[in-house]
Amino acid sequence: MREIDARGLACPAPVLQTKAAIEEANPNVIKVIIDNEASRQNVCRFLESRNYETSVQEEGSDFHVTGKRKEGVSPEVSIDEKTRTDVKRIMVMLATDRMGFGDDELGLKLMISYIRTLKEMGSELWRLVFVNNGVKLTIKGSEVLPVLQAYEKDGLHIMVCGTCLTHFDLLDEKQVGETTNMLDIVTAMQLADKVINI
Amino acid sequence: MEFPTDPNLIVGMDSMDDAGVYKITDDIAIIQTVDFFTPIVDDPYWFGQIAAANALSDVYAMGGIPKTAMNIVAFPIKEMDISILRKIIQGGLDKMKEADVVLVGGHSVEDKELKYGLSVTGFVHPDRILTKKNLTIGDRLILTKPLGTGIVNTAIKGGLASREVIKFVTHLMAALNRDAAQIMEGFSVHACTDITGFGLIGHVAEMVVGSDFGIGLWSEKIPIIPEAFDYAAMGLVPAGAYKNREFRECMVDISPSVKQAVLDILYDPQTSGGLLICVDTKSADDLLIRLKNKGMDAAIIGEVLSKPKRRIVIK
Repeated sequence: MREIDARGLACPAPVLQTKAAIEEANPNVIKVIIDNEASRQNVCRFLESRNYETSVQEEGSDFHVTGKRKEGVSPEVSIDEKTRTDVKRIMVMLATDRMGFGDDELGLKLMISYIRTLKEMGSELWRLVFVNNGVKLTIKGSEVLPVLQAYEKDGLHIMVCGTCLTHFDLLDEKQVGETTNMLDIVTAMQLADKVINI
Repeated sequence: MEFPTDPNLIVGMDSMDDAGVYKITDDIAIIQTVDFFTPIVDDPYWFGQIAAANALSDVYAMGGIPKTAMNIVAFPIKEMDISILRKIIQGGLDKMKEADVVLVGGHSVEDKELKYGLSVTGFVHPDRILTKKNLTIGDRLILTKPLGTGIVNTAIKGGLASREVIKFVTHLMAALNRDAAQIMEGFSVHACTDITGFGLIGHVAEMVVGSDFGIGLWSEKIPIIPEAFDYAAMGLVPAGAYKNREFRECMVDISPSVKQAVLDILYDPQTSGGLLICVDTKSADDLLIRLKNKGMDAAIIGEVLSKPKRRIVIK
């Protein structure tokens, strides 16, 4: 059993010590002594997030938190694994409702096909941003509207330029995505690992 | 304690509002407020900006326009390089410039722990002061910044926050509430406050205490910094959030579907949080669109209820 005395320490120090102990020794049982209510709840929460069963004993003004690893759970499974963001983030920005120049009819066909096929990017597809004429793909009557709505339902973040909708007087016609602004678009570009401009 | 009274004192010590208001003429009242704290981010320039935005926010929350400010500085001059202080003050000054506020002076003391903030004076028309009172049943509540800065700041302290999150939350805390205040001027707003140390629930509680109504909050609509959920589940909840909960949970009814991590975030103390605007139900959607078009992650998050009186109902 591993024992940590984190008395006299304020949040988040007790949680950090507990985290370090688990990462270093991966114990089946761990005991953490703390002396304040906030740390008690935080340490319990942390241990539970790492698949430990917790119990608390009060001793004077101290709390003794004991964590026992739940059976049948692989020690490797941790919240870090689940929330790690090593999936590549691809942002696709569509500034037009046609793909390429030349024949408009062909351009529209290509665009529809492009949006339908985008799902092949899988979980790496992170943001879909519509600006300028692109916003017309998000309104009533757009051929790809059901596709976009399905993407959004699956959790894809779709952003539609508010200035552009206002310019075309389409603010009320938009049927999918979140109305956004240039700051959000610039921030998304900065956070993305790859930006694709169409 | 008994405080001196004055017929021209409109908002004073006896109310739970963000700043004091004193009437000078029938058209002008001054708003006074002060706020300072220890660093919450490592970058001194950004800390200066955040501390200034936070102090100015109280004036915006009362419907006023900040005009002058004074620096308040506590600095460990023997242990710390003076260039750090310069950067902090530069950050504060740049934020004041952005807000069209003039720096008129200040005061510094030597202290073991670094602290910075402002004392701010602003103006407001006495008839247009916004407090935490005067809510009407059916009013909608709009929040103009996402919640979770206290939890994210705890993760930053613990060295567990990613650079992207640090950057995002730093910009969020440094953002002035000026745009929100200017936009709401054109709407029938009944009350307003800014979300700071008491967390969303603490500030909502101040609105219903002593009133004749309750407030319903729609937890799924409340804008939240996404990473705050993971950090809360990991136990990176600041002690202040537990204190806020202990103090206010007797006033709160929670639907079983509301997740623990969400509740932590609703009690989470905010630094330089957004405005909580209480607006006539008919104007709420229009006001929200205007705020969003200005780039704010705002949302309608609840409503004023006829009952249960003096309680907060979270769905």
